[in-house]
Amino acid sequence: MREQGRGDRLTALLRRGPLLAVLVLYTLYTTLPFLWVGAMSLRTTAEISADHYGLPSPAHWGKFRAAWVDSNFAGYFWNSTVVVVSAVAIVTVLGAMAAHALARYRFPGNRLIYFVLFSSIIFPPQIVLLSLFQILVNYDLYNTRTGLVLVYVSLQLPLTVFILEAFFARIPQDLFEAARIDGYTDFQIFLRIVVPVGMPAIVTTVILNFVHLWNEYLFAVVLVSDEDLRTLPVGIQRFMGDYFQDIGMIATGVMIAVIPVIVVYAFFSEKLIQGMTAGAVK
Amino acid sequence: MATVQLQDVCKRYGGAGGLAAVQDVSLTVADGEFMVLLGPSGCGKSTTLRMIAGLESISDGRLAIDGRPMNAVPAKDRDIAMVFQSYALYPHMTVADNLSFGLRRRGTPRAEIERRVAATAEMLGLTEYLARRPAALSGGQRQRVALGRAIVREPKVFLFDEPLSNLDAALRVATRNELTRLHRRLGATMIYVTHDQVEAMTMGSRICVMNRGRIAQVGAPLEVYRNPADTFVARFLGSPPMNLLPARLRRAAGGSVALVAGAELPLTRWSDAALEGVAEASFGIRPEEMLLLPPDAAPQPAIAGTVASVEPLGAETLLLVDTAGGEVTARLHRDTAARPGDAVRLGIPSAAAYLFGPDGRAIEADRPAAGAALN
Ligand SMILES: Nc1ncnc2c1ncn2[C@@H]1O[C@H](COP(=O)(O)OP(=O)(O)OP(=O)(O)O)[C@@H](O)[C@H]1O
Ligand SMILES: [Mg+2]
Repeated sequence: MREQGRGDRLTALLRRGPLLAVLVLYTLYTTLPFLWVGAMSLRTTAEISADHYGLPSPAHWGKFRAAWVDSNFAGYFWNSTVVVVSAVAIVTVLGAMAAHALARYRFPGNRLIYFVLFSSIIFPPQIVLLSLFQILVNYDLYNTRTGLVLVYVSLQLPLTVFILEAFFARIPQDLFEAARIDGYTDFQIFLRIVVPVGMPAIVTTVILNFVHLWNEYLFAVVLVSDEDLRTLPVGIQRFMGDYFQDIGMIATGVMIAVIPVIVVYAFFSEKLIQGMTAGAVK
Repeated sequence: MATVQLQDVCKRYGGAGGLAAVQDVSLTVADGEFMVLLGPSGCGKSTTLRMIAGLESISDGRLAIDGRPMNAVPAKDRDIAMVFQSYALYPHMTVADNLSFGLRRRGTPRAEIERRVAATAEMLGLTEYLARRPAALSGGQRQRVALGRAIVREPKVFLFDEPLSNLDAALRVATRNELTRLHRRLGATMIYVTHDQVEAMTMGSRICVMNRGRIAQVGAPLEVYRNPADTFVARFLGSPPMNLLPARLRRAAGGSVALVAGAELPLTRWSDAALEGVAEASFGIRPEEMLLLPPDAAPQPAIAGTVASVEPLGAETLLLVDTAGGEVTARLHRDTAARPGDAVRLGIPSAAAYLFGPDGRAIEADRPAAGAALN
């Protein structure tokens, strides 16, 4: 009997072993570089050159202050916040409405619009970079936060609509009809049924869009040249000279940039789980 | 309260040339009536109900509630409430919010909303669940919330689309009785869609049998059961369905007779005039009317056959018998010694016979069909 029980446990371990190994390896793979950068953010570049993998002792907390005040990270942070929060807000509102319309209403061209949106996900965004640049210049939006927001909205809208449409389409039609009989207009139904029931999907897109745009570099560097309008990913670049890279300060900048992402993720994934349990359509 | 009138109502999906899901439905549901729309899957019951609800446009014909034309009135202004098969509870709201959602929209005063929600919850035994979300309720409780959401609105007309089909058998029977009591208590007009004939027979003031988008017959449950208008209704109502056998009719000395499965069966319900010009027909007899004759039985109308199978169900026994006219089912009210392979004679009481013409329509009889015979 005992032998049997041990054998069972062994087979269970053998069966779960590979899975555990993969999970452990993946966790190390994702967290170690992060911890490394975290350690470097508290060390000077000279210390880092002497020992790449050393621990931060003493910890130079003053580097954060230096980056924030002396290197204009406060400004970059503000620019990133304004641009990304506006873009994500607009994308979420527009995307949810568009997704609802595409998922729920039959009208000529519905699938055509869907297909056009869908196909724009497939193409790499870089191919529109130059034409976007020209368009922004023509409309006096080059080198403005507004211009960057508009570009970000258009970049993220297709994927957002795509994800939300798939989710909204699975909300049972009966719910809409019950609400219609209960006397609600189409727009009220959108606000009071679709948005709350679709909250898990909406939160997913918010996290996705926020993280992606917060880290966005290419469009930010091409479409904004003014030092005072730069966003964080571009701002970090100022520590990279042609001949010398201030690795220590880059790490500090990266940590400053990464903290909001973690906060947003933690806050919204809490909401995500709440929404999933509340909105469970049984 | 309210009457509901449909006049030549049609529904075509996909434009004017589209397939008709509902055709020329004319039906008047009286004030306070419990009308059941009954029919097989795909016959257009739900479509008819949804047109009454205003969830589906009416392609042709007229709909009136309380005499007021409704074709162009949006669902929310028809003063109807609907209970969906899926219940369609708002998953993100508590039971209390589910109940009050419609009232809040209509600007009912808060005190009144609270009073009605409390009364409805009380009536349905939902008081202790008011703060829960639908996901935390059992199927039966959800069903009652769906019901409560309709009741709380105090509508002119209640519409039900197979509201019991997701419940288990015991709960279905209980809820059926509950609904019947509710109907009596509220005295409201109710239209109820189902494909379950037991629900239809037990609940309906009248039933409207539908087939392929058309009304086959409307009437009180027993009336429809006793006098089916055509072979479809005859076979759809009743379980097992009515036996139909090909028959040739002949004028004999004592009246007309039908030649069925090699036997001569007298047609005592029909006058000669009624059968004028009919040579071929379907002869109908319900399984529960057939008698298993003992070998020494007195001579009487009967058909002969071989037992194909015996299905004892406890309270009754189903006997499948192969005859010259095809297989028939007899429903015996007690156990039987008959075994597969036995040659048997099945008595056919003339008063319980039905005839259907070649077009499937019932041939009108002069004397009513007798109720269930004893056997
Ligand atoms: N949106 C639609 N577009 C096209 N055809 C439809 C649509 N809805 C229903 N139909 C068709 O109309 C017919 C009647 O459908 P309906 O839903 O009224 O059937 P039902 O009697 O309620 O059946 P069930 O018992 O299965 O619910 C069916 O043949 C169905 O395929
Ligand atoms: Mg249906």
